[in-house]
Amino acid sequence: MKLPPPDQSILARREEIVGALKAIVPDGVVDDAAGRQVFDCDALAAYTQQPLVVVLPKTRQQVIDVVKYAHAAGVPIVPRGSGTSLSGGSLPREDGILLALGRMKSILEIDYENGCVVVEPGVTNLNITKAVDATGFYYAPDPSSQIACSIGGNVAENSGGLHCLKYGLTTNNLLGVVFITPDGEEVRLGGKAGAQGGIDLLGLITGSEGLLGTVVEVTVKILRKPPVTRTLLGSFDTVQKAGECVAAIIGDGILPAAMEFMDRQCIEAIEAYNAPGYPPGSAAILIIDADGVEADVTDTMQRLAAVIARVGGISVEATDEAQRVRMWSGRKASFAAMGRLQPDMICMDGTIPRKKLPEVLERMAEMSVQYGLACCNVFHAGDGNLHPLIVFDQTKPGEFEKAEAFGADILRLCVKVGGVLTGEHGVGIEKRDLMPEMFTTEEMEQQGRVKCAFDPGGRYNPGKVFPTLSPCIEQGHLHVHGAQLPHPHLPRY
Amino acid sequence: MSKVTNESQAIDFVRQARAERKPFEIVAGGTRRGIGAPVPNLPQLDVSAITGIVNYEPEELICVVAPGTSLPELENVLAQRGQRLGFDPADWSAVHGVSGTATIGGAVSVDAFGPGRLLRGPARDSLLAYRGVNGLGETIRGGAKVVKNVTGFDLPKLMCGAFGTLSVMTELTFRVYPRPSHVAVLAVKDVGPLEGFAHLRKIARSALEPSGLAYLPSGNALLPDAGRGAALIRLEGEETPLQEKIAMARALLGAKLDDVAEGLALFNRIRDGAMFAGTPLDVWRVMIPASEVPRLTAEIAAPLWLGDQAGGLLWLAAPPASASLIRGLAAANDGQAMLLKASDEHRAALGLYASPPPALAKLRAGIKNAFDPDGLLNPGRIT
Repeated sequence: MKLPPPDQSILARREEIVGALKAIVPDGVVDDAAGRQVFDCDALAAYTQQPLVVVLPKTRQQVIDVVKYAHAAGVPIVPRGSGTSLSGGSLPREDGILLALGRMKSILEIDYENGCVVVEPGVTNLNITKAVDATGFYYAPDPSSQIACSIGGNVAENSGGLHCLKYGLTTNNLLGVVFITPDGEEVRLGGKAGAQGGIDLLGLITGSEGLLGTVVEVTVKILRKPPVTRTLLGSFDTVQKAGECVAAIIGDGILPAAMEFMDRQCIEAIEAYNAPGYPPGSAAILIIDADGVEADVTDTMQRLAAVIARVGGISVEATDEAQRVRMWSGRKASFAAMGRLQPDMICMDGTIPRKKLPEVLERMAEMSVQYGLACCNVFHAGDGNLHPLIVFDQTKPGEFEKAEAFGADILRLCVKVGGVLTGEHGVGIEKRDLMPEMFTTEEMEQQGRVKCAFDPGGRYNPGKVFPTLSPCIEQGHLHVHGAQLPHPHLPRY
Repeated sequence: MSKVTNESQAIDFVRQARAERKPFEIVAGGTRRGIGAPVPNLPQLDVSAITGIVNYEPEELICVVAPGTSLPELENVLAQRGQRLGFDPADWSAVHGVSGTATIGGAVSVDAFGPGRLLRGPARDSLLAYRGVNGLGETIRGGAKVVKNVTGFDLPKLMCGAFGTLSVMTELTFRVYPRPSHVAVLAVKDVGPLEGFAHLRKIARSALEPSGLAYLPSGNALLPDAGRGAALIRLEGEETPLQEKIAMARALLGAKLDDVAEGLALFNRIRDGAMFAGTPLDVWRVMIPASEVPRLTAEIAAPLWLGDQAGGLLWLAAPPASASLIRGLAAANDGQAMLLKASDEHRAALGLYASPPPALAKLRAGIKNAFDPDGLLNPGRIT
């Protein structure tokens, strides 16, 4: 995977650009090599690139001034929150300003009457919950990185988490944003009432991976914490039965708060790591949470146990909080457990129709043999979101490329069975070149024109999500003649 | 009028219109033509025959449907498998005094969410994917037929509430939800707006997961025995859990909670705007932060009104002279006032919503241009 080649004329102007940024944010420009090194990657650490310069604004006005300057000077911008993207969404550019929003971390307002919180973009996901925890509320989306990831980044990536099935992704919990366009205009979309008065641009910018602008204020819904949460573990002697169980639970009208699937390789790695006591010999297990009022949860637990028994599985309900925590401890340690097998790993993120699970798992096992790389599966079973973990050793020549090829094959398989390339991690740079597996040329161009509506100069996070730079043309249409791709003279990186 | 029965005919129609530079109006059931700025004297593209359930997989919580499918038909198919749509779509034909059958495509295009939005969000939270023809006559698919997807821009969101200005939709994929086995509708009667809305907000902030919270003022036609007004609460669940929720609601409010006979029908009438059928006044749907509602209803003093979404959605019928007051108060309170029904002149003068600030208007125009650069589809309907 490559980024578009840097613009040499921008590199030549580096000193001037740094100076201009220092005039805007005197205490927040990082331009020395050691300082920039800190920002040279996000959580997709296989890719690194030193940014031209890092700027860390503290105020909305500083963001506007930086964006206006970059617009006038024709310099690309890569926005960044906490840098926890798993798809390289905030991988810097050699010729780009890294606009890092981590210092904008004030909670501006907590409004219980209207069930919402207004924050700056650098506030971490978990700190929103912490701010309202004492009064019995929480913010529902809970990506695994919630201790570190910022709400601005969550908006950019439309982050999910364990509880999406019942509570939705970021987009379903967002009421409004204040947004700075690539030419430095401030736009308010939605607000406490969640009303936009026109087409849903809030929905569009959510999950737009920093391609359309920068969010400087976010209003999210908060929910009352469910009074009761209980956990049940189902174990199965075949993957087929576990897959059937997932379909039967959903078909039975149950909407669990979370439903996680782990396969044999994963269970074995976890048992060797922190021994949560998963039933030995299981081909697959499900960990299921039900939440709500007491009677609701009791009823759901009974129905879940009945469904598991019906498909030939064995269920165990956690009888106390300690056991509940132990059941989840294995799932939460799955990355670390796999990390002991080999020094490096990549985590894929396709979503498939749930019914295709046994077929996809079988194919992945075959590929694992074919590539000679171990792969285990953790899976948000409720919503069909797979997280195959491929482990490898980067010091062995060619092994990283092999792991990437394996991962790409898994994602192609997801698309082939009716699924998608990414359920919650984003396309970023990681899956960029796979986009044509899922979209036609016309569909890619349609998305390209949407990008042009916001960023006609193509300066916001270039090189991410789309495999070709989409030139913005006045009438908006690129013609394709025969099999010839539009604008063959343009670099395809 | 041209009637098309499938996507390929829709493509032919759009390409022809493009070649001739002839804008057109998209219609199906024809029940929502009275919303938004009028699109006068344009040829019509009738998509009502693009109809039927394309693929329904209850175990996947997914239903793929052609947009011309009638709302009752779709709801019936889902109900047979114990499921339903998340956004509780409304049929506003009575408000507009028109006959015809409301379709699912129309409901998405105008985002006709009902009281159930409280629990599962508006149309945009349910529409996972669409297939449609853009203004260039190209087939575009947006989103995907799985419940969790972040691949590429979230184009289905743009279709909800676009009033047909971006695409001729030919297929819609919904996330559907389990239908609870039991539903209860309860009322705190004889309470004024201040107290009534405070009760509703208290339930909204609870863990009871209500699927409807509405206030009906004194003298309303839907619930004649409301006294000074009634706060209505719709709760759902299996039998025993529902009883527990009802007990919790009573304890929480410390007020007398009456069972409402025909409560489900009452909420459906609220959803469909039955109170506003036949009024000669302009009808508005105003979204505002719920806490501001008691104050705003007093200031506007509309002859007919009710509060849905615990107060977050105010339905009003008011004389044309109140328009600037309504729009002004909505704007001043972080809200939006949608003109649901008015005379053609009013609709043309006031627009569906207030004019956006220039930077926002530019982005919206850019999106329109990205889908329909020649301005063929329902031109001017929402600007």
